[in-house]
Amino acid sequence: MLFPVRCFTCGAPIGHLWDEYIKRVQAGEDPAKVLDDLGVKRYCCRRMFLSHVDIAREVLYFPKIS
Amino acid sequence: MDVEVLKRDDVSLKLLVKGVKLHLLNSIRRALIAEVPVMAVDYVVFMENSSVFYDEYIAHRLALIPLSSEKALEKYKSPEECREAGERGIFSEDCFVKLELSGEGVKGGVKTLYSGDLVSGDPDVKPVYDKIPIIQLLENQRVKLEAYARLGRGREHIKWSPVSVAAHKYVASVKIDEGKCSYPQCRRCIEVCPRQVIVEKEGSIKVDEGKLLECSLCRLCETVCPSEAVKVSWKEDEYILYFESTGSLTPKRILIEATKVLEDKLNTLKKALLEGVGYGGG
Ligand code: SF4
Ligand code: SF4
Ligand SMILES: [Zn+2]
Repeated sequence: MLFPVRCFTCGAPIGHLWDEYIKRVQAGEDPAKVLDDLGVKRYCCRRMFLSHVDIAREVLYFPKIS
Repeated sequence: MDVEVLKRDDVSLKLLVKGVKLHLLNSIRRALIAEVPVMAVDYVVFMENSSVFYDEYIAHRLALIPLSSEKALEKYKSPEECREAGERGIFSEDCFVKLELSGEGVKGGVKTLYSGDLVSGDPDVKPVYDKIPIIQLLENQRVKLEAYARLGRGREHIKWSPVSVAAHKYVASVKIDEGKCSYPQCRRCIEVCPRQVIVEKEGSIKVDEGKLLECSLCRLCETVCPSEAVKVSWKEDEYILYFESTGSLTPKRILIEATKVLEDKLNTLKKALLEGVGYGGG
């Protein structure tokens, strides 16, 4: 779904960093360097970025079941 | 008790605390996590939601957004009172802050609503970070909601915890028995230490005292030593306390509030004991 607001493990707020992260990574920068720049130190938080699949972009086009 | 600041920035604080017992420091640490009140969204009223996201999903994301609480601690009623008020359906202004969010999808694109789009009824209580995505909308999808934030404590729900990480750690004491050590034929502990605590200096093997704070107490040096010359232990009553704020309060304020909560609890206990038991012949 959407990028999580907090890290699942430590609870640090990370949601606000996603837009910049993905913009820079898609422009060809090294994810490790971008995360260092953004101040994401712990590996629990880093994997949140590295393993995120932005599935919301696809879900958006399907109707909601209710 | 002796406190030294090892590292300090906007969101984190690292202290070297000497002459304090572990159980006391741990009480402070637990108070940091679970007892210091901050603001967080607790109720959400949806007027309209034609997005593909369920109400609960949006409400959950809203709750996790850190809200600035520095001034709110004085302005609003205590977590206990406000929890009760909320349960009875009373959303009074001395407990709750209303945050409004509304938006509509745009033609031929994806519209993202961010935490910065929340309109708060109190300028002192607003999202700490503006760029947290809350929801995405397509054309003809609309959302309109009112979120109500109140003070709460981490022990009720982690969204009310002012810290993300709060940890303490022993300070290492690494000793090398030079009588047993076969340096320079052997250099295994120097090579294996991941934190460069054990170093070579002027042709002899030394423990770098300045680096001891970084020792992870992994005991790799002890394990690899063929002659049991290295001993890793810890210093008595000396600890490193590290914690990171979510941004709703400054680290200093969190620590002060935590000690206040602890003091209040102890005073309550003392009072109850004095009134109830009357020990000591009184
Ligand atoms: S315990 Fe680990 S970090 Fe500490 S000195 Fe030994 S090898 Fe290095
Ligand atoms: S591993 Fe043991 S014997 Fe080898 S250098 Fe270190 S202390 Fe000396
Ligand atoms: Zn984390």
